[in-house]
Amino acid sequence: MIKDDARQALVAFISENYMVDEDEIPLDQSLIDEGIIDSFGLIEIASYLQTAHGIEIAEDELIRDNFGSVNKMIDFAARKVGTSCAS
Amino acid sequence: MCGVFAIFATSLGIEEKRELTKQALAQLQHRGPDAWGVYNSPKATLGHVRLSIVDVAAGHQPMVSGDQIVSFNGEIFNHVELRAELESQGVVFETRSDTEVILKLYQRDGIDCFRQFNGQFAIIIWDKREQRLIAARDRYGIRPLYLLPYRGGWAFSSEMKAFDCLPGFRRSFSPAGLLEHGLLWNTLGETTVYNDVRSVESGTVKIFATSGEEQTRRYYQLGEELSARRDQFSSFEQAQEGLTQALSDAVTLRLRSDVPVGAYLSGGIDSTVISRLVKDATNHDFRTFSVAFEDESLDESLYQKMASEDVNSQHNEVRVSRQNIADSIADTVRHTERPIFRTAPTPLYLLSDKVQQERIKVVLTGEGADEILCGYDAFKELKILEAWKKNGYSPKVEGALRDLYPHLAHYSDPKHFGLIRLYYEGFLDDYDNEMAGLNIRFNNNKILERYLNPDFGLQVDKDRMRERIAEQLPADFKHWTLMQRNSFLEMKTLLQGYLLSSQGDRMALSHGVEGRFPFLDHQVVEQAFAMPDEYKLRGFEQKAVLREAFTGKIPQQIIDRPKRPYMAPDLISFIDDSGNLQGMAAEMMNDQAIRDAGLFNHEMVAKFLKKFKRGVPKDIGYRDNMIFTFIYSTQLCHYWLNKPVQDAPDYGLCTVDIVDTL
Repeated sequence: MIKDDARQALVAFISENYMVDEDEIPLDQSLIDEGIIDSFGLIEIASYLQTAHGIEIAEDELIRDNFGSVNKMIDFAARKVGTSCAS
Repeated sequence: MCGVFAIFATSLGIEEKRELTKQALAQLQHRGPDAWGVYNSPKATLGHVRLSIVDVAAGHQPMVSGDQIVSFNGEIFNHVELRAELESQGVVFETRSDTEVILKLYQRDGIDCFRQFNGQFAIIIWDKREQRLIAARDRYGIRPLYLLPYRGGWAFSSEMKAFDCLPGFRRSFSPAGLLEHGLLWNTLGETTVYNDVRSVESGTVKIFATSGEEQTRRYYQLGEELSARRDQFSSFEQAQEGLTQALSDAVTLRLRSDVPVGAYLSGGIDSTVISRLVKDATNHDFRTFSVAFEDESLDESLYQKMASEDVNSQHNEVRVSRQNIADSIADTVRHTERPIFRTAPTPLYLLSDKVQQERIKVVLTGEGADEILCGYDAFKELKILEAWKKNGYSPKVEGALRDLYPHLAHYSDPKHFGLIRLYYEGFLDDYDNEMAGLNIRFNNNKILERYLNPDFGLQVDKDRMRERIAEQLPADFKHWTLMQRNSFLEMKTLLQGYLLSSQGDRMALSHGVEGRFPFLDHQVVEQAFAMPDEYKLRGFEQKAVLREAFTGKIPQQIIDRPKRPYMAPDLISFIDDSGNLQGMAAEMMNDQAIRDAGLFNHEMVAKFLKKFKRGVPKDIGYRDNMIFTFIYSTQLCHYWLNKPVQDAPDYGLCTVDIVDTL
């Protein structure tokens, strides 16, 4: 449920900042390959995730497995939040 | 430099064609403020506006010789040698002008004359004997030439705006052309962003018969000397000497002029090299000109002054503010005649005004070096991707990626590096297809599709685009290296569609200033094209052969400074801190104006502008600047289509008015 809210919030952020309708945002494909964002967009999204989820993203975490799609970003953020709670 | 116009049609009377041509020439008089002329005949009417540079007293146009009549915009730099050759065969000349050389060589060799020219030109010849009209354009598209089917025949012009005075015709955007231009910074082949208006392709000659038949012959293609020149140099040192010699010859040829020649200094290596060669060739004092910016992050005046002091030139700069950009963008776009992606042409519009005030008509610039010597970061990006794909991700690849864009904050911040890597990883699969370096530009600009009016029903189709590009490619393209393939594509898109036209020809000629480009001498281009890639991009050092060749000859700091693109303030010039659009942007970009023009999705534009309701953030990216400048400049084009400026001919400047009854 929390994940769904987080996903919805991220989709809303992308929609607002990159001028795409929410239903046009693919959840499992790369936003770059789809032409929705450029390299600068990735940085804006990473910075959004840090603020929205109160997480610190390390350089070695900036990989396709974590940022390759909306769902991957949400899973990654959830894992990070989980890790920081546990520690 | 000059402008040409012609009508080739028998459905119009001679007097009607003559009047229309005079009206059209008045719309081109900024290109040639010194004189104008018309040649009238039942089938063809040729017009010309003149900026007097060679044989100021006698070189008026259109020029008649026997059964051939020419109207010509540009320069044939090797006219002296061609004239000597013709004279040795008994040909007699009446003037010293290069125009007469064109006619006499055409009379000897027909359309084979064009490949013998070293120059920058758009040429129209009415050949009464053969009953055909010839339209030819230089190798790299330095000088423009457009054509329009009109009243059962054709109209030709240096600039599209002159077509606006033809009754029954009004320029209208072609949505597909607009999108293609948006994706590649140029339209391909003969197409333009406007319906019915076509562009004569660079390196081709078109032949129009009175029967209505039309033929196109290509007389030049980039890379045509590749096999002959492949082993021209056996070492890097020899290549440096060869390049220096070829460039020096190119500069010497381009100093041929009966009026003083100046130079533009950008602060980069290319224009500094040209100024050095001008100094070496003449040892005279000469004038240099630069654009400086009030925005410190964009200003390069420190290096410009360094280059000027080095050659002891009399230097002038135009200092440009955001307000200047906002105030002059509408006039800029009237001259670019097509949407632009950056405001960078505007300072050059202001600069040519200054150059004209200083009574300089000709300037040499460094245009073309980046395309032929792998100066763009797109070349580095391709090399990185190639190494990455071949040998996997390595510290070398990582280092090269980190160094890609030192002037972009988000590239140099180590915290963000992983995202940059991730971004490029997405191109690993298709960077080496027909589009080479255009893949990245295409991807970044794909977003424009979403902004166009959905009623156009346009969708970006990468496979279709690849087919369109493949149609333009020479047969041996697939045997070229990735760097050579990218050189070709850069020259066909960014160079022709933007740097030489929107930012080059149209900005300089808006104030009667002629640009000359030694790096685009075809001897220099073919020589550089055939050099091994590693002479041009040594490791990741761009234009290595040029840097090495001019070490010790120009200031070292200019050689060593990292490459940065010439940029002007974009979005920030038009939106204030409260998010309000300024000046004419408020009129052109409001919801009603967007709806009225019908070119863009008004909801998307409104959403986009809302993003800046608290002003423009300091670290704004390429894409938002590009989107805004594209939309605003398209709206401005639309404005000029509906409100064409109609200047009246200045009859006092008419030097030729021939009526031929045959």
